[in-house]
Amino acid sequence: MNIPSLTFLDFQPVLPALLLAVGGIVLLLTEVFQSAATINRAYQSMVALAFSAVAGAVAAATTLEPAREVFLGFGVSDPFSGAVTVLVCVGLGLSVLVSAGFLRHRNAERGEFYALLLFAGAGMSLLAMSNEFITLFINLEVMSVSTYALSAWLRRGTRPSEAGFKYFILGAFSAAILVYGASLLYGATGTTKLSELAGLLPAAVASNPGLTYLGAGLVAVGLAFKVAAVPFHMWTPDVYEGAPTPVSALMSAGVKATAFASLVRVFLPFAQDLGPNHAQLMTYAFAALALLTMVVGNLMALPQRNVKRMLAYSSVAHAGYLLLGVAALFARPTGGEGPLAVTPLLAGAEGAARQQTLQAILFYLLAYTVTSLGSFGALAALERREDEPRGTAWDLEKFAGLSQRKPGWALAMAAMMLSLGGIPPTVGFMGKLFIFRAAVDAGLVWLAVAGVLASAAGVYYYLRVVVYMYMRPSQDGVTVPERQWTTELALVLSTAAVVLLGVAPGTLSAWLGKASVLFSQ
Amino acid sequence: MTPLAPYLPIAAVLGVAGVLAVAISAIATFLGPKRFDPVKFDTFECGNEPIGSARQRFAVKFYVVALLFIVFDVEAVFLYPWAVNFKALGWFGYMEMVVFAATVVVGLIYVWKKGALELES
Amino acid sequence: MSVENVLFWVFALGIVSSAFLVILARNPVHSAMALVGAFFFLAAEYVLLWAHTIAVLQVLVYAGAIMVLFLFVIMLLSLTDADLQPGQVTLARVVGGASAAGLCLVMVETLSKTKGAGQVIAGEQTQVFGTLAEMGRVIYTQYLFPFEAVSLLLLVAIVGAVVVAKARI
Repeated sequence: MNIPSLTFLDFQPVLPALLLAVGGIVLLLTEVFQSAATINRAYQSMVALAFSAVAGAVAAATTLEPAREVFLGFGVSDPFSGAVTVLVCVGLGLSVLVSAGFLRHRNAERGEFYALLLFAGAGMSLLAMSNEFITLFINLEVMSVSTYALSAWLRRGTRPSEAGFKYFILGAFSAAILVYGASLLYGATGTTKLSELAGLLPAAVASNPGLTYLGAGLVAVGLAFKVAAVPFHMWTPDVYEGAPTPVSALMSAGVKATAFASLVRVFLPFAQDLGPNHAQLMTYAFAALALLTMVVGNLMALPQRNVKRMLAYSSVAHAGYLLLGVAALFARPTGGEGPLAVTPLLAGAEGAARQQTLQAILFYLLAYTVTSLGSFGALAALERREDEPRGTAWDLEKFAGLSQRKPGWALAMAAMMLSLGGIPPTVGFMGKLFIFRAAVDAGLVWLAVAGVLASAAGVYYYLRVVVYMYMRPSQDGVTVPERQWTTELALVLSTAAVVLLGVAPGTLSAWLGKASVLFSQ
Repeated sequence: MTPLAPYLPIAAVLGVAGVLAVAISAIATFLGPKRFDPVKFDTFECGNEPIGSARQRFAVKFYVVALLFIVFDVEAVFLYPWAVNFKALGWFGYMEMVVFAATVVVGLIYVWKKGALELES
Repeated sequence: MSVENVLFWVFALGIVSSAFLVILARNPVHSAMALVGAFFFLAAEYVLLWAHTIAVLQVLVYAGAIMVLFLFVIMLLSLTDADLQPGQVTLARVVGGASAAGLCLVMVETLSKTKGAGQVIAGEQTQVFGTLAEMGRVIYTQYLFPFEAVSLLLLVAIVGAVVVAKARI
């Protein structure tokens, strides 16, 4: 029997995930081994925060190491996966900070909550480095099952149950679709490893086109569910509304970021190895998905007076801008003939352009992570437990006159709304700038124009919140929950990140540029 | 070479079981005396009139037990292929299984201490 | 025609007919029982494909454990005829039916190109293929990364089940 010889180099990339998993186990065991009478849960959020911070630091320290296959090619360690892990840990840390106050206010703080958060983070980190379909599926499920349970965490009332149930059923279906697609691709090529798949695809397309296209399509649909792309977004508003606000934040940031990472990792070889026609086909497909997602997401968000639902639809819209980046990743400019004149990626000279597009996607993911965590954090600070059964906890009216009552919170929320709308000097503006520029460079000018128009529509409903906070008088008798230093710390951190990265994105975007290297390139 | 050879005993058992099941019901149908009266058609329940449907809704608390059963069932499944390769895999395989089992045992300790295995009223 | 070929069609007919029973039976418990039948016939087909371990697991895990949960959920919901909507033609159903038909077409197209389709090709495999030992050899050497990830998945499933369904946490 061939016992594989594993070295430290195999284990080092999974170290962040391992740390997160160990953190989760520590929280689980300390939760149940305390006696019920003297139980004190104040330490839990700090433990979870510490583990996320250390995992993030480890990931950041090893991100720029050269790309290599680990665990016999079942995983891959490249700067891209490292950067995604860092993003996940940032999201996780902020989400833990917001959760502490949110759960305490509802008397729902338990070790399991933070444990599941950390397990979800571990799954995300492992998913970002999965290089084989079975591995990818299992890690996707680790992430998803944790988030299913988390979204039903506040079990009282119909909303959390609906959120958990809907997310579970649709998530299970999408995972099944993904596995079905992967199995068809296995049938066509005889491998589940992404690195081997690339070389076998041309022959598979030639001999079994139906099987290969259908397999690839089903895998894309499975992942499109996770990123909430239209028309696979139906679960998003209900799930985001019913889930605890910090969990909605993590879903919109971490789950989305890692699903995009998987999408890029699975489909970039298709664009690279299948020749010009297929790259063009994929560009068309993803461009159409991006257009639909941007337009529908923004239009559906327009009439929402429920800020949490508005943020859910805004999350859909942002998936659209990211898909625009993905479409640009698969295309290259020819010199501007016609609206969709693109030539596909070729290895070598186009590598730099591809790296730039990846950098734009990563930067956008980072921008959206901090902004989304900040906006959901502000919402979490504001929403009162009493209003939840009636569903009025997230009404736009709750924001009326917030600038007088809570100037700090109002300022943070305003910064987040400007960032989501893509207005300078915020990180959201820089993110949109990078990603639209990548689309223009790739020859997708019409799509970039559509994206700008769609985000202009978005400005309306983001600014409406700002208008309510600064120009509407406060309603009588509206109170806000007591201040929690953890939530306020999360708000300060994300606001600082949104503004600082918006003013001076240089250092970080340079680092992300270096990290925009995939193993398959 | 056929994959079926080892399954011959299983086929035999299935055949015998099938024949036996059919035979017993057939014998009972043909040989048993049939004398019907209204009392016999009545629901047999200790003299009480049956009220409502017999299909009661199951309590969700059993669901936890059912789900834990499946999880540990799947865990046990992974032990079989490891056990038959135990010697060949050596310490490498042993450490692999230690990590795997330890993770699931954490889950067992958790549900045990949490009291999820006790049926709450 | 060899024994394998005859048995293949017997089992295939068994799978398809019990699958039809699953969707046509009015009583959900009958559907579940028909599903058990489908699982058994599928296990028999796995045997014909030399996938001995998968066949055993199919019976052990699916017909055993998973069906317990199926029946459990049926009894938890205890749906009556009134709860079950009669069949209506909706857009979703049309799209779903069309997708299923398309999938069938692709499968037929692919299989028709495959040499020897519809015939069980016996005698190509060695005696050890698909056995427990052979599976173990692959799982615990090559597939160790996904294998260890499964333990994390099981742990998450345990915690998730308790968190969602336990009365007091």
